[in-house]
Amino acid sequence: MSNWEHLRNFVVLAAAVVALLFVPPIFSIYIRSFFMFMMLYVVLALSWNIISGYTGYVSFGHVVFYGIGSYATGILMVKAGWHWIPTLFAGAAVSGVFAAFLGYAVLRLKGPYFAIAMLGAAEGVRVIATVWESLTGGGDGIGFPNVENSWETYHAMLILTIITIIVAYWVGHSRFGIRLNAIREDEIAAQSLGVNTTFYKISALVLSAIFPAVGGGIQSYKVLYIEPDSEFFILVTIYMKLFAMFGGKGTVIGPILGAVILYSVQEITWIKFPTAHLIAFGLFIIFVARFMPRGLMGFAVDRGWARKGMVH
Amino acid sequence: MSNGAGEIALSVRDLKKHFGGIKAVDGCSFELPKGRISGLIGPNGSGKTTTFNLLTGVLAADSGSVIYNGENISGLRPYQIFNRGISRTFQITRIYREMTVFENMLSASSMRVSEREARTRAEELMEFVTLTKLRGEYGGNLSYGQQKLLEFARALMTDPDLILLDEPAAGVNRTLLQNLLEHIHYLQEDLGKTILIVEHDMNVIMNHCEKIFVMDYGVKIAEGLPEEIQNNEHVIEAYFGH
Amino acid sequence: MLGAFLAVAYALPFAVGIYTESVFFDLQWLADFTTVLLNGFMQGGVYAMFGAGLTLIFGVMRIINVAHGETVMLGAYMTWSAFFGLGVDPLLALFLTLPLAFVWGWFVQKVLLNAVVGGPELTPLLMTFGLGLVMIHVVEAIFTTDFRTIPYLPDALRLSENISVGRNRLISFVMATVISCGVYIFLKKHRIGKAIRATAQNADVAMVCGINIFHIYMITSGLAAALAVAGGALVSIQFGFNPETGIFYTLQAFAIIVLGGRGNFIGAMIGGVMLAVMESMISFMVPNGTAMVELAAYGLMIFVLLIRPRGLLGEKTD
Repeated sequence: MSNWEHLRNFVVLAAAVVALLFVPPIFSIYIRSFFMFMMLYVVLALSWNIISGYTGYVSFGHVVFYGIGSYATGILMVKAGWHWIPTLFAGAAVSGVFAAFLGYAVLRLKGPYFAIAMLGAAEGVRVIATVWESLTGGGDGIGFPNVENSWETYHAMLILTIITIIVAYWVGHSRFGIRLNAIREDEIAAQSLGVNTTFYKISALVLSAIFPAVGGGIQSYKVLYIEPDSEFFILVTIYMKLFAMFGGKGTVIGPILGAVILYSVQEITWIKFPTAHLIAFGLFIIFVARFMPRGLMGFAVDRGWARKGMVH
Repeated sequence: MSNGAGEIALSVRDLKKHFGGIKAVDGCSFELPKGRISGLIGPNGSGKTTTFNLLTGVLAADSGSVIYNGENISGLRPYQIFNRGISRTFQITRIYREMTVFENMLSASSMRVSEREARTRAEELMEFVTLTKLRGEYGGNLSYGQQKLLEFARALMTDPDLILLDEPAAGVNRTLLQNLLEHIHYLQEDLGKTILIVEHDMNVIMNHCEKIFVMDYGVKIAEGLPEEIQNNEHVIEAYFGH
Repeated sequence: MLGAFLAVAYALPFAVGIYTESVFFDLQWLADFTTVLLNGFMQGGVYAMFGAGLTLIFGVMRIINVAHGETVMLGAYMTWSAFFGLGVDPLLALFLTLPLAFVWGWFVQKVLLNAVVGGPELTPLLMTFGLGLVMIHVVEAIFTTDFRTIPYLPDALRLSENISVGRNRLISFVMATVISCGVYIFLKKHRIGKAIRATAQNADVAMVCGINIFHIYMITSGLAAALAVAGGALVSIQFGFNPETGIFYTLQAFAIIVLGGRGNFIGAMIGGVMLAVMESMISFMVPNGTAMVELAAYGLMIFVLLIRPRGLLGEKTD
């Protein structure tokens, strides 16, 4: 890709950032929070995409990293009295280290077994968060002291989104990303052609674990209350997966597009049809898995609107 | 260019690999002359594919050693062996089907060279195997012959000194085979590379290899020049006797 | 390796129990412990049955059906509806629910899964995941998220002075055993059962031999759904359930078939009993045990996959 194209993409990103900085103040607090959560899902979908889109290890339990971040913020703020910003870094570190250990174990499993092992790991951590009452407050969760923080959290989420997009962009346009792709395509060939697959897979999982943890931390401070069933809610994983797949896994634009479109759709339908919208999402997952495995971006490539591959 | 006459590129000593009761490779030793094209042949099930997988680290040997540049590389992981300058192709091509030709090439570049250098190298090699026109096409959309060429070019990305080719003639038509063999000879004669071909097709081996090793039942039963092999009674017996 | 792991896993609840001083080894404790083990064993019969459904699908089609637990949940609601709506005895209701379940499995296979058998492994996984989501929320729309129970023979049957089993457990165990054995005999002896096993062995050869494999896939899915719904019926007379309990049953069933060996029917039987016994030990000896039991399934599943992916009885194919 030429430098001009990188520059063009950067300008688009900068324009979006400026818009997100200056447009929401015009609207209500509700709109602001809507944009904040949309950015959260952009972060989550892009992160999921690093391990599952590029590397092909489809995670059914990615909410675990988000939940770990939420709890790191909750525990450190409420029980240890930290300021909320350092807790985000702590959450990212804990989540990253956890991902490295977990990945070392489960990334040797292939395809569906990795997926289910991740699901089991996420549910297992949820149980631990429920049972370990002295640390996590158990099923009652942790309540934060009440403050008005919608601006702080909005800006923090914006910064996180920018960083995540830049990292995802780097992954999507570098030899690192190409090597992750090679692992997805043919792990034995990749290994025979110089890719230390264990190292790359674990790196990808750690990268994809850090940003959801920070996002979870910001979110927990924003809503001022966490409990195991909401922070380790399987629906969060479903959204990450569906948004990224719908937009096009293994691309940078795809997960962003998917999150922006589908999060808006779910926000509108959720209020009017709380149950029906999840039924529709379930049907939609079936449809996407069956008929558009490469998502919107695959569609664009087939039509000649976008080029094949990630590096040109 | 000096072909390093008489020097040894790779030396295999008493290599063993058993699968349960089956002695796939049972004490095999041979030495690849530097800067030459060597061939490894043998009837089906003679252990040549297993030997190949032991050399490239896909399988771990039970015992024995593989000495390359004074280092025992037996037991290293495949990527470590690759990074020491030994590259390979596969019997059935293993190109990355949902990556473009250019990405296939770039995926095998060494992380020690800059991306700019890697890109230049990829462009040159695509030119070399005449795939430049297809650089933005998915690997899976290429014809079998083009995939074979792509795999061959991809194996050269790191400028390896030793190139292992697993049945390059399998499933390839005459024109393409001729084309591949020209490339192979160019690598050997003009660039001084060492090449080992594992092959079923006797013609390829006899006409293009300078030194030939014959395996049967997991051991080397003969080695020598093509004409020596052709008249070796052990070889004739191995191929036709049972 | 697996043996050592299992020994540690089964010793762990004792260790925790001794550490937290809830294990005494006196006569009363031993009697209670026996009661718990016995009840766990019987529970295992039910687990084994719905685990067998998952293993059947995997064995024949190499598909992991993550909506299997949701089918179990569906079975529980079908039984609940029959009991409270029509006043039908939960066991008699099986005559009504099992044919329906078979049709459901058949239908899902025909409409959704037949097209993706043999393709990329992740496609059916994602599709059944979506299906599970649909099932949960359809049930939720009808029945809400409230926990439901079916009061059915809750009294205990005394075996001796200190040892007793729940009457509903005993009946569940007997029913599960009868149904599992029935399916096993069907697979071994019946013409269609043999065709199913032939397809599991090698679908291409089965096709050449004149077996319509898509037909076989639909029958297999129907049988698996029936096993799951039967499991749901037998679970519903013992425990409370709500629409979201399905995912736990999926993971339990997956743990069972991983432990027993994927695709192995007898393996699922053994795995089911082993998991249930471990769960009962945890709930009895570990503080906070009722929440901790879930960890048994997750832990067993992950560790067995890592230590010995083919499980106890599985073949060494992948």
